[in-house]
Amino acid sequence: MTAGDAHARARWARRGDIALRVVASVPLAYATASLWAMALARLLPGDRAEATVTAALIALALCALAAMWAFAARSGWRAIWTLGLAAAVAAAITWISIDATGRV
Amino acid sequence: MSKGFRQSQAFLHTWSGLLLGWILFLVFVAGTIAFWREGLNRWMRPEIARVEQPMRVLAGSQAFLARKAPDAKSWIIPVATERSPGAQVFWVPQPKPGEERGRRGRRGRGDTQALIGADGQVAQARETRGGDFFYRFHFDLHYMPVIWARWLVGFATMMMLVAIVSGIVTHKKIFKDFFALRRAKGQRSWLDGHNATAVLALPFHLMITYTGLVTLMALLMPWAVVANYNDQNTLFAALFPAANVVERTGRPTPLIDLRRIATDAERRLGAPASFIEVSDPGDAAARVTISQSANSMLSSRTPRLTYDGVTGRLVWRSPPPGAAAETAGAMIGLHAGRFADDGGRWLYFLCGIAGTLMVASGLVLWTVKRRERLLDPTRPHLGFRLVERLNVAVIGGFPLGITCFFWANRLLPVALRGRADWEMHMLFIAWAAAALTAFVVRPARVWPSLFAVTGVLLVALPMYDVVATDRGLFASLAIGDLMIAGIDAAISVFGIGFLLLARRVAHHRPAAKRVRRAEAATASRVPEPAE
Repeated sequence: MTAGDAHARARWARRGDIALRVVASVPLAYATASLWAMALARLLPGDRAEATVTAALIALALCALAAMWAFAARSGWRAIWTLGLAAAVAAAITWISIDATGRV
Repeated sequence: MSKGFRQSQAFLHTWSGLLLGWILFLVFVAGTIAFWREGLNRWMRPEIARVEQPMRVLAGSQAFLARKAPDAKSWIIPVATERSPGAQVFWVPQPKPGEERGRRGRRGRGDTQALIGADGQVAQARETRGGDFFYRFHFDLHYMPVIWARWLVGFATMMMLVAIVSGIVTHKKIFKDFFALRRAKGQRSWLDGHNATAVLALPFHLMITYTGLVTLMALLMPWAVVANYNDQNTLFAALFPAANVVERTGRPTPLIDLRRIATDAERRLGAPASFIEVSDPGDAAARVTISQSANSMLSSRTPRLTYDGVTGRLVWRSPPPGAAAETAGAMIGLHAGRFADDGGRWLYFLCGIAGTLMVASGLVLWTVKRRERLLDPTRPHLGFRLVERLNVAVIGGFPLGITCFFWANRLLPVALRGRADWEMHMLFIAWAAAALTAFVVRPARVWPSLFAVTGVLLVALPMYDVVATDRGLFASLAIGDLMIAGIDAAISVFGIGFLLLARRVAHHRPAAKRVRRAEAATASRVPEPAE
């Protein structure tokens, strides 16, 4: 393997890494924030309308933080699986909660 | 903060800022101008007299609607103020049998609205969207379905929030650097300018971006609603309660004088009223709902009162909203700035200008930074040329388009069919011409030309007003109409600003070359070799 090949491979690896981070920062960050909006809307105490509005307000900020995390994580793959895990936790909370008490 | 974290955020800041920067520039420009929406609504109808007796306009509105749409489903009458050109009233006709009930579109209904002027008669004014154009364009853009536009603007706003927060992380010495504005130092000056406009109004930028997302929250983040409600209308009924709907009786009964209800409502609310909605006017079941003016309080969720439209008895009063709803309402109010008096509006306006300059300088900085690293500066790669020319097309072209919009408002014949639409078409035609030039001619020549044309046209506009309208700068000052005078004066100032900018850009040489020339001059004073 020549130095040129190694250089080219490093460039492609970097491009792949950035592509993963873009996926993590746009669709995945939005999906994660949306699922946490649902989970928080279920979890927050008090009046349903109030909990719903509060959850949506928080989720907007979460979306921005998730997009930043996608680029701060050590690697693109790590960004994907950490956000995916956070999304899965929120999905599970939402699912169990709706299954238990239903919607208004 | 680790070095790696800061680097990753610098990368994110650069690219999120670049890719959405052009849309953000448009949104910032339109939003900044929209803080003077009411003033522009008057300025763009120079033939209209100033409202001095709002109640006279209200009486005229009621008389007009009773004549024009006696058995409408509802009337909507804004209460005129000294800031407004009058009352832009509109009515919703009774739904035809089989037609969907409850639909209420405000756009494209030119035949169901009218402007009632200061004397209570239908105002004879040129057809224009006025300052409302900027308000709408700010989130609906133009020539595209509004839902797409709002998603696009919402996405750009989210990226803006990301760019701001990652920008704060990137510039660790941000507050220290703020006091260092190094002029005429090439890239360093652009960076300083970008930092200065960003940090100067940083709380504003953060506030306006996040609250902007909140205004679009129902569209962008409906998932919290989905989690709790089978039918989202249940939530809306809880958030925006209204008096019980009364069935139309079919017994014609005269409507009470709306001035009496408005006076009573203002006394009860302890604040000015803004909107009056009359359902089933002329029927025994008529109801009048009146809401408090958003100019009088921070939250956009203003209290409402509903009266019996025949007897004038108060039948319903909106309950105070919950803490979360009140928070969201306050954020929307903070974004729109309707609560702000003229001084407050100036602050909003200046912060908006800082934001516009921040976006523009950030976009230019991207090219300035990369120009020095180009392998062959005479033949930059495609991406560089694209960004460079899009910058000219958007930053140089859009202000020219707006200037032409204002000129179209003055020059298009009053009898022209679809006149208001043509004013807007002129904006986009001029902008398209500027953009085309930007892609054909070298940027170094287009930048100063666009700025110069914009500057000349802006400076000439108040002069034209003095000569050709009754509402020139001096006439407005003479009658103490500071809003209209202020708009003319501000347009002159912007015109001079664009001319100075044009001169400066025309004399600008990229930093690297200038250094070389200076060295050559001090060393030998021989003619420069041809490059």
